[in-house]
Amino acid sequence: MRIARARAERFGGIVELRKPRALLQVDKALMRELGEPESPLWSLDPQGPLSAPTEVHVVLSRRCAAGCRGCYVDATPQGAALPFDEACRILDELAEMGVFHVALGGGEALELDHLFAVAEHARKRGITPNLTTSGLGLDAAAARRCAVFGQINVSVDGVGPAYAQARGFDGYAHAEKALRLLRAVKREVGINCVVSRSSFEHVPEVARLVRKLRLNELELLRFKPVGRGARLDEELTPEQARALYPMARRLILRHRIRVKLDCSFAPMVFWHRPSRAAAAFFGVQGCVGGDVLAAVQPEGGISGCSFTPATVEGSLRQAWPDAFGEFRGFVANAPEPCASCEYLALCRGGCRAVSAAHGAFAAPDPGCPRVQEHSRKRPLPIV
Amino acid sequence: MRLLRRGRVLSATFGCNPNSSSLGVDVSFLLFGSLFASAVAVVLGTLLRRDAAK
Repeated sequence: MRIARARAERFGGIVELRKPRALLQVDKALMRELGEPESPLWSLDPQGPLSAPTEVHVVLSRRCAAGCRGCYVDATPQGAALPFDEACRILDELAEMGVFHVALGGGEALELDHLFAVAEHARKRGITPNLTTSGLGLDAAAARRCAVFGQINVSVDGVGPAYAQARGFDGYAHAEKALRLLRAVKREVGINCVVSRSSFEHVPEVARLVRKLRLNELELLRFKPVGRGARLDEELTPEQARALYPMARRLILRHRIRVKLDCSFAPMVFWHRPSRAAAAFFGVQGCVGGDVLAAVQPEGGISGCSFTPATVEGSLRQAWPDAFGEFRGFVANAPEPCASCEYLALCRGGCRAVSAAHGAFAAPDPGCPRVQEHSRKRPLPIV
Repeated sequence: MRLLRRGRVLSATFGCNPNSSSLGVDVSFLLFGSLFASAVAVVLGTLLRRDAAK
């Protein structure tokens, strides 16, 4: 095991491991045992926000030629892009804050000439750059340059015809070719699969592809009705929402692959009442926008999550201590049925972006099975 | 004499998240429950101390 670095937090600190790649939260006593200096943060209430995000999503552009029908950033071939100098300035600030990882995406980040220069700058500043791509246009030379990234996932929402059905264009052959080229270069290659109402039944085929190509993970992402997706009726049905976590477990056991669910799926996991201690230890949690993560928009603004509008302009470092109250305050002010849910501290009310898309940012996630049951039980108002 | 408490690993997330729209969490470990989590915490704590002592 190799320690890369450590960062003090109110509860103790976060230790980054290089091998295996991991972030460990440790208490103050262990920080002292590791030889870390005393921190002024250790005299503060341990329940407060982190001193900085551990991970920042950098939406490098809203530029993409693919035109996927559900694109959440509404990317177009002429969309805005974050200039190289501005990207480097932001990375410098994130490095000074102690951010560990950035996830680069878009739009299609590979369409930008300066993508690899941005990734190399992140490496120089001690931040691990990771990438999501559609794989369109990736050739062997570009795949070799992708060695600079930590983890790379290619978006594959279905195999064969199911890909075109989900995304609105036939890019499956390109995506599979990209996966093979990348896998020849590095081990940390996986698939991002958006799970929507119509793609749900095709997820097992994507899991088989992960095993066949010996990829290291399948990440299932919840369809969110934002961007161009707001015009689609593709959110999971209540039955699909309940079946998602059992399906993920089956895929793990059947194919012996690593399956990750995005944070917005937390309500669908916790409805099945998994061990709270195990979930807390392995970081299974709901919305961590504005705390564990933040997002940089291509126009330069900063938001708590890349699905929500920017609320910070200028320096994230200066704004961080008091920003994103709308995200951070949910647990303390949670309405029913979240308030009485034993998983509230972990689930954090599900996905704020989905709630916002349904009209109320601070309302419980309408896709949560518990919220749906609560809505059915609620007595009709007396008129 | 004051008894010094050993430090603890509170949580562990493995790998890197490449997704620029949300945070991916590994649900594979949930299959094994809280005893497994406790065992992993002890092992990681031991390895961390050993690494720091080098």
